[in-house]
Amino acid sequence: MELKRFQRTLRQAMILPVLACLMLAGVLVWQTHESDTTVGLIERSDQRIALARLIETLVVDEETGLRGYQVTSDPRFLQPYNVAEPRMEQAIAQLRSIAGPTETDLLDRFVKEHQTWHQSFAEPLIAMIAAGGRASDDDINLTGRARMDSMRNLLAQVVSISEQRSAERSAEFRRQTRRVLTALVVLAGIIGLVIGLFTRDRLQDVSVAFRRSIELQRSRAEELFQSEQHLRTTLASIGDGVISCDANAKVELMNPIAQELTGWLESQARGRRIEEVFRIVNETTRQPLENPVTKVQRLNRVVGMGNHTVLIRKDGSELSIDDSASPIRNEAGELSGVVMVFRDITMERRTRAALLANEKLAVAGRLAATIAHEIHNPLDSVANLLYLLQHDPEDGEAKHFLDIAQSELARVTQISRAMLSLYRESKAPVPVDLKDMLDDLLLLMEGRFNSLGVSATSDLPSGIVVDGFPAELRQVFTNLITNAAEAAAQGGTVLVRIIPQHASLSPSGQRIEEGAIVEIIDNGPGIPQEVQDHLFQPFFTTKGERGTGLGLWVSQGIIRKHAGIIHLFSNTEGSIRGTTASVFLASKPIMEPGGD
Amino acid sequence: MPKNAHLVLCVDDEVVGLRVRKILLERAGYEVLTAADGYAGLELFAAQPVEAVVLDYAMPGMHGGEVAKKMRQAKPNVPILLLSAYVGLPEEVSSLVDVYMTKGEGAPALLEKLGNLFSLRGASHLR
Repeated sequence: MELKRFQRTLRQAMILPVLACLMLAGVLVWQTHESDTTVGLIERSDQRIALARLIETLVVDEETGLRGYQVTSDPRFLQPYNVAEPRMEQAIAQLRSIAGPTETDLLDRFVKEHQTWHQSFAEPLIAMIAAGGRASDDDINLTGRARMDSMRNLLAQVVSISEQRSAERSAEFRRQTRRVLTALVVLAGIIGLVIGLFTRDRLQDVSVAFRRSIELQRSRAEELFQSEQHLRTTLASIGDGVISCDANAKVELMNPIAQELTGWLESQARGRRIEEVFRIVNETTRQPLENPVTKVQRLNRVVGMGNHTVLIRKDGSELSIDDSASPIRNEAGELSGVVMVFRDITMERRTRAALLANEKLAVAGRLAATIAHEIHNPLDSVANLLYLLQHDPEDGEAKHFLDIAQSELARVTQISRAMLSLYRESKAPVPVDLKDMLDDLLLLMEGRFNSLGVSATSDLPSGIVVDGFPAELRQVFTNLITNAAEAAAQGGTVLVRIIPQHASLSPSGQRIEEGAIVEIIDNGPGIPQEVQDHLFQPFFTTKGERGTGLGLWVSQGIIRKHAGIIHLFSNTEGSIRGTTASVFLASKPIMEPGGD
Repeated sequence: MPKNAHLVLCVDDEVVGLRVRKILLERAGYEVLTAADGYAGLELFAAQPVEAVVLDYAMPGMHGGEVAKKMRQAKPNVPILLLSAYVGLPEEVSSLVDVYMTKGEGAPALLEKLGNLFSLRGASHLR
């Protein structure tokens, strides 16, 4: 539930009871007003009764006064009568002002009766008495009495009616009060119920929202926990060492592999400078290397792995490693830490070295049969010549036999020397005469060409010398020439040539160094495009069991080490079909130690 | 040179080796024909009454195994001695010929094995 809705609910929950109370108050006010009216009406009835009684008293006073005067003829007895007269008029006026229609009717009749009584009985009687007459006539008296009774009767009716009204109104008032009470109770009950239901509904909303938000929080916390666990497990099960540092290059976290490789426990390393935990030096120079973390701080970008890095572990032992480091950035894009990944490549290096040695042996093995053939042939001739010399040679023949034997032995020596130089390793680059080297190789492989039925030609200008490792270069060219011979097959040709290169600029503006391109060209079937893509991959071979699949891969490594370039151009179409292997070697290359 | 000398055909692409072998076998009393490759060898084999063949294995164009196969098809009874600078030739090649030996075993070994071929032939003829 958003805050706005929550506030609206709160407002609603407050306003409804206030409105309900106001409504109740309105009902009360209205009912009080009604009661007031009723009470006023009751009071007026009582007033009417009182006035009717007063009028009755005044009538009695008049009659009493008149009677006294009639008996005594003393005008003093007439005083109550005289006093009553104006008061009665006043009282009648008052009563009339508050009387209902029935009472007014009765009152009119009373007034008429009273007037009649007054004019036709009292006044004449008074006048008669005043005139000294006697007024003891029974008839007159009876008439007066009848009138008086009538008047009293009328007044009694007024009183009775008023009393009845008063009683009705009292009853009405009581009923009203009861009604109001009932209405108030019912209304209060209804309002209470409505407020209760409404509030409950609103509170339920709020509580649902509250519960939901709690659940959301809980599930988020759970998700966060899960995701952190996930990351931790990932980190722990990663096969590479991972160290993460804060922005000050202090170690924060190390996974198990990192602890194993560095020899530092995470608990020991945490908070220490990375250089202390992760000490690296160059494999050959032994110079300390810039720490990847510091490098990331300096360059603020991902730093790749350096070649020939040695990690010095906590106990002083060493490991060859590959390392790389990446910056960790916060939301504002500022560097908040660095994560470094590294792995032990000692085994990888050994495997690579073993593969290289294996390939070198494979080249040797491939040549061994050829070499045996090359040596056995002259040896066979020499053995036969020696036999002939032992068994009485004819005149002059001996010298001839010796000459042949000598030249055959020279051939053996040459071959064995060429073979030896193929395997002799030099520590530093030495000048290599390309013509000499290639001539040697072609001589060694003559038999191979013969047995394959391939004719080899060469165009090798003399005096072209490059710096390099001769044994390795021999390995490369042995590979390339063997490949060419096998591709050319029966009746094919192989051309080996050297094209000297002078220092210049290529059409694309690149500097071309001084050196030479050695091309080995065969007129075999060519290499299909899909095969060409894999030529320099290790263990890729088209020769089945006869090949190791390492020849070109190793050759490429060697040429790269010599800062040279190796290319294969091939065509499978008609008359121009065939393959050209092209190797550029610089006269004074800057050796790349990582090339092998 | 005896009149009843056996006629031997030597096939080898090694010019010097072939020349020396020819001299050696002639001294040992054989009559020798030489060919520098398989094709020339097969021609001579068909044209001449060759009684035995000393055949090199590694030769351009057609190796000794193929030459031996063709010779066997033409004249199955002529013994063939396969002489090779290689060791460990395939079984299907060595089974084609009567004797298989490697170069460099020496002249006496060659003469002995060649002589054996004729004496065995002779013995089987007698039987």
